[in-house]
Amino acid sequence: MIYDIRHVTTYEYESAVSFARCSLRLEPLSGDGQELISHSVDIRPRPSERTARRDFFGTLTESVVIDTQHRHLRIDSRSRVKLMRTPPERDAPCASWESVRDDAFEATSLGPSSPIGYVFASALVPVLQPVTDYAAASFKAETGIVAGAADLMRRIRNEFKYDPKATVISTPLREVFDNRHGVCQDFAHVMIAGLRGLGLPAAYVSGYLRTIPPEGEKQLQGADATHAWVSLWCGEALGWIGFDPTNDLVVGNDHIILGMGRDFSDVSPVDGIIVGSPKQKLGVAVDVVLVE
Amino acid sequence: MDGPSGQDQRASAAGRPAARPPLRRAAHWARDYARLPGIPDEFIGADGEPRPVWNRFADTFAALAPTDIDRRFASADRHLREAGVTYRSPGDNAERSWPLSHLPLLIDETEWTQLSQGIVQRAELLERVLQDIYGAGRLVASGALPAAAVAGSSEYLRPVCGVKPPGGRFLSIYAADIGRGPDGRWWVLSDRTQAPSGMGYALENRLVQSRAFSSIYKSMNVERLAPFFEAFRDALRASADRDEPRIGVLTPGTFSETYFEHATLARYLGFLLVEGDDLAVSGDRVHIRTVAGLKRVDVLLRRLDSNSLDPLELDAASRLGVAGLMDVVRKGGVVLANMPGSGVLEARALLGFLPSLCRRVLGEDLKIPHIATWWCGQKSARDEVLSRLDEFAIEGAYGRAVPGFAASGPVLASELSAPERERLRAAISQRGIDYVGQEVVRLSTTPVWEDGKIAPRPFVLRVFAAATPDGWTVMPGGFCRIADKLDARAVSMGDGARAADVWVVADKAVAARTLLPGSDNVRIRRIAGVLPSRAADNLFWLGRYLERAEATLRLIRALAAQHRDPGKGSPAQLNTAERIQRLLLAWGAIAQTSRTQGARVADEALQAEDQFGSALSLLKSAQRTAISLRERLSPDAWQVITEMSNQLAQDIDDDDAVVSTAELLLEKLASLAGLAQENMNRAAGWRFLDMGRRAERAINTARFARQFGYDEATPEDLDVLLTLVDCQITYRSRYLIGPSLAPIRDLVVLDLYNPRSVAFQIEVLNEHIAGLPVLKENGLIERPQRLAISLGARLTAAEAAHLDGRTLFALEQDLLNLAEAIGQHYFPHGPNATRPEKLTGLA
Repeated sequence: MIYDIRHVTTYEYESAVSFARCSLRLEPLSGDGQELISHSVDIRPRPSERTARRDFFGTLTESVVIDTQHRHLRIDSRSRVKLMRTPPERDAPCASWESVRDDAFEATSLGPSSPIGYVFASALVPVLQPVTDYAAASFKAETGIVAGAADLMRRIRNEFKYDPKATVISTPLREVFDNRHGVCQDFAHVMIAGLRGLGLPAAYVSGYLRTIPPEGEKQLQGADATHAWVSLWCGEALGWIGFDPTNDLVVGNDHIILGMGRDFSDVSPVDGIIVGSPKQKLGVAVDVVLVE
Repeated sequence: MDGPSGQDQRASAAGRPAARPPLRRAAHWARDYARLPGIPDEFIGADGEPRPVWNRFADTFAALAPTDIDRRFASADRHLREAGVTYRSPGDNAERSWPLSHLPLLIDETEWTQLSQGIVQRAELLERVLQDIYGAGRLVASGALPAAAVAGSSEYLRPVCGVKPPGGRFLSIYAADIGRGPDGRWWVLSDRTQAPSGMGYALENRLVQSRAFSSIYKSMNVERLAPFFEAFRDALRASADRDEPRIGVLTPGTFSETYFEHATLARYLGFLLVEGDDLAVSGDRVHIRTVAGLKRVDVLLRRLDSNSLDPLELDAASRLGVAGLMDVVRKGGVVLANMPGSGVLEARALLGFLPSLCRRVLGEDLKIPHIATWWCGQKSARDEVLSRLDEFAIEGAYGRAVPGFAASGPVLASELSAPERERLRAAISQRGIDYVGQEVVRLSTTPVWEDGKIAPRPFVLRVFAAATPDGWTVMPGGFCRIADKLDARAVSMGDGARAADVWVVADKAVAARTLLPGSDNVRIRRIAGVLPSRAADNLFWLGRYLERAEATLRLIRALAAQHRDPGKGSPAQLNTAERIQRLLLAWGAIAQTSRTQGARVADEALQAEDQFGSALSLLKSAQRTAISLRERLSPDAWQVITEMSNQLAQDIDDDDAVVSTAELLLEKLASLAGLAQENMNRAAGWRFLDMGRRAERAINTARFARQFGYDEATPEDLDVLLTLVDCQITYRSRYLIGPSLAPIRDLVVLDLYNPRSVAFQIEVLNEHIAGLPVLKENGLIERPQRLAISLGARLTAAEAAHLDGRTLFALEQDLLNLAEAIGQHYFPHGPNATRPEKLTGLA
C-alpha cells in the first residue's frame, strides 16, 4: 500500500516574532514495515539556517532558524510512503510477559531499539503505582505478552473517553488517568506508564492514520491530525509490535510511523522557541490518501 | 580492628604517665572526649592515643586562653556573616548563614597522598567509562556493564551519544564523598560527576579559618588551596580552541541553593558569572549578551544540571538553559565542564561494577574501596538483598529518591512496618532494576567545639580532582560536612549540619601561593573583559534603588524634623509637612490612609514592609539586586548593604529614633557611594552603577524642585527644598537674603557647579554614555545619547527666571524617558526583556 501524506502546521502570532529556532521531526521512518519513497518540507518564512541530522532514535531532525520578522509560520510537509506490514494475531503464540520483562532487563545494548531504553520512567511518563495496578489486571501470571497488551489496549479504549478539549500537552499523566479522558497522546502515555510499571519495554510512536477508511469500515479516531500509539517489545522473536489504544487496533497498514521514542517529547513533530509573542495559535492539518 | 573505647583509653593514659613524654595538652582534651564505641576517630588513632597531627594542633590551640578562643570563633562567625557566605536549603526563601565548625579536620600528608592516588585513579576510570558509554559502547556490549544500570539514569542523555566532547574530555572536575569506615580506611560513599558543588565553600572556609587562627595555620604547614585552583583555571583555559578564551560560570540563578558559591568561583577564578538568559546561540557558537553586543564564550563551567541545559533537546520545560546549546556542543563550538550527561555515573547501580571495570579498563585494582552495594537488577544480588533485607539500607539505584517511598534518604527495612516491608519486598521483586542494597556503615568522627570542649561527630568529606593536561590534580583539602545525627551518610547542608575547613598537614613547610600569575608573559589589560547586559542592568538598578532610598530618607528626616520643630503648628509649616507627605504617598512610601496620623507617617515611610517605596523596601530591593551582582561587589560594599537592612529590622518608635536612624542610613549610603567612587574599577560596570545613581538623582531633584519650589512656594517650602538637596550652606554663602525662588531654582536645577543639581547629573550622564561602546554601525547617534545631549543643551541655555511649574514637570518627564531609553538600549536582553516562548505542542 502506498500513501501520500500532506501535513501542514501553522502558527499565528499575536505580535511580531523576531526570532525562531525549531526542531522538526517530519520525515516518516524507513523500516519496521514501511519504506519512504519521497519527502519534502517547505517552510515560510524561509529559514536563515537549516541543518538536518539523525537523532538518537534514528529520526531525521531538522534544526531551523528563522530571523526575519513574521507573524505567521507555515511548515508544509509532503511524504510518500509504502507500507507492507503483517500484524500478528492477538492470540498468536508468544512469550509470557514475565519472561519478556526478564529478558529486557538483561539487554546488552543501549541502542535505540534495545528494550532497556523503554522500561524506565521518562520526562512525560512517570511510573505510578495506581497505573501499574491498573495495567496488572491484564497481565495475570504467565499471560502471553501480546494477549496481555491487547487486553490492556482494549480496556483503555473502552474505559477512557476521547475528548480533545479535556487535556493539553502539559496535562500530567496522573490527571489523565484519574479523569479517564484525553486524546491519542494521553492514551498512549497511560498505556506506556502501565506497561513500564510492570517492567515491560514500551515506546511512544508518533505518526499518521489513513484519512478515508477502507470501504465498509468507519473512520478511525484521530485521522485528521497527527496520531500517537504504543510500540511494545514482545521478546527477541517477535520484536516491536504496535498497539493503538485510541482505536483498539494492533498496528498494521493503516498506521504510518514518523518516529519512535520514550514519550512525546522525544518525537514531537514540531518543537521550538520563539522570541516576541506570548500568544500563538496552532493549526495542524493532516491528509493521508491511499495512492494504490 | 577498632581502637579501645574511650574508657580504656583514659585508663591507659592515667596508668602509664611516666613511660611517656610529659602529658601533652592533646591528652587533656582526650580525657573528656567521649568517642563512640566501635567507630574510628580522627583525633584519637587506632592505638588509643591522639594522632600526631592533632598533637601539634592541640598544643597550640589549648595554649590559647578561653576568652581568646571565644574571640577568634566570634571573629570567624562575624566574617562569614559579613562576607555574606550563605547557602539556601531546598524550599528556603531566604539565604542562610553558613554554620562553620570552628575546628578544622586534620589529615596527615602521608595518608592524604595515598588517598589522592585513589581519587586520581577513580577519576580516570570514570572518564574512560564515560567515553565508552557515550562512544563505542564496548563495556555494555561485552556485558562488563549492564545496559540497565546505565539506561535507568535520567542523566543518561541520548543527545550526547556519539558526540565527541569539545575539549576532549567528559570530566573536567570530579568529586567524591568519602568517609573513614570501621576498618580505618577511607571509603567512597558516592561519586559526583555532574556539577559538584563545594569547591567555592572550601575556599571560603579556608579564608575564614586561616584568618581566625593565623598563627596556628602558619605553624602547621598546611597545604595551600591556591595551586589547585590555578591548575583548574589553566586547564579550562587550555581546553578552549583559542588563546585567551572567554570562560563563564553557568548558574541557574540567585535562587539556586549554592548561588553564593557560583559567585565566589567566578570572582576567584576571574570568570564571568552567567545565566542561561545571558547566552545566545548563533551560528556554531555560544555568545554572551553584553553591553557591547554578542561576545563569543569558549568554555562554560556548568553549575546547571544537564537536563536543564537546552529546552530543545533536553527538558523542554526548562527556563534556565539555552535553546540550541546541544547543537553547538555537537559542532564542537563550546566546551562544557563537565560535559552534559556526565552525571550518569552518579548512579548507585554502577558502584558494584567498578572493581571489575577498573581491572578491565585500567588494568589495575581499585585503590580506594567504596561502600558495598548490591544492584537488584541482577538476580543474584537481588536474591541476596531479599534474603537479608533487614541488614541493608535500600536506596534508589539512580536518583536520590527510593522509587515508591516518600523519604529521600535510604529506606531501612528494619524500621518499616510489616505491610511497608512487604511493599518494599514486592517492589524489589517486580522492578529490581530501580533499587540497590547498601551496607549500613557508620563513619568515623572528628572533634567539634561545643560548650568550651571538644566532642566527636561523624562527617563526610568531599574531595575534588581537576583534569589538567598533565593528569589529574587533587585539591589538598576539601569540603567537610559534619553531621548532628549519627548516620553521617544523611549529611547535607539542609539538615542541621555544619561545614569545616580541611587541613592537609605536611611535615615540611609548604610554599605559600595565591592565584597570582608567576610568569611575565601576561598580556597587560586594563578592562576586565565584557560586561553582560544583565549585570549592567542590575548595576543600573542598584544605583537607582540606592539613590531613591537616599531621597526617601531625606524626605523622612525633613518630615520628622518638622514634627520636632518648637514652632510647629504654624499654618505654613503644616502646609509644608503636607507637601512632604504627598510626595511620600506618590512615591509609594506610605499608604493613603496614614496621611492624617501625623507622627506615625515618618515611621511608616521608613519601615513599612507592605509599601514598595518605603526605605526598607527600597533597601531590600537594593540588596536583592546586589545578590545577583555578588561577584562584582567588594566585600566592604556587601557588608554596608547588609548592615542597612539589619538597621531597619529593629524597632523604631519615636521621632528622635526616626531621625537618628535616617541619619545613620544616610551616612552608610554616603560611605557606599564613597566606596564605589574610590574603589570601583572605572570599567563599564562602574559607569552603569553611576548612571543609575545619576539618572535617579536627576529625577528626584526635579521632583523636589517641582514639589517645594513651585511658583507660589513659601519660605518654609524653599527651606525644605534646600535641605533635601543638601544646598543650605552653598545657598547661604552665595546669597545674604532668605530663601528666594529664582536663585534656589537656579541652584537646584541649572547650576553646573552644584554636584546635586539636575544639570550636573545630565552632564555626568552624557560623559558616561559617550564612554560606552556603540552598538550600531550606521553612524547615527543613539537614542540615549540624543536625549541626554538635548536635555543638557536645554538646561545649559535655560534661565532660572523662566522656569515654572510647567517646565519643571516637562523636565521630569524627559528625565524619566532618558532613564527608560538607557534601559531599552543597553539591556534589551536583561531580565525585563521578552523571554523566548515555547512553541505550543500538539494535544
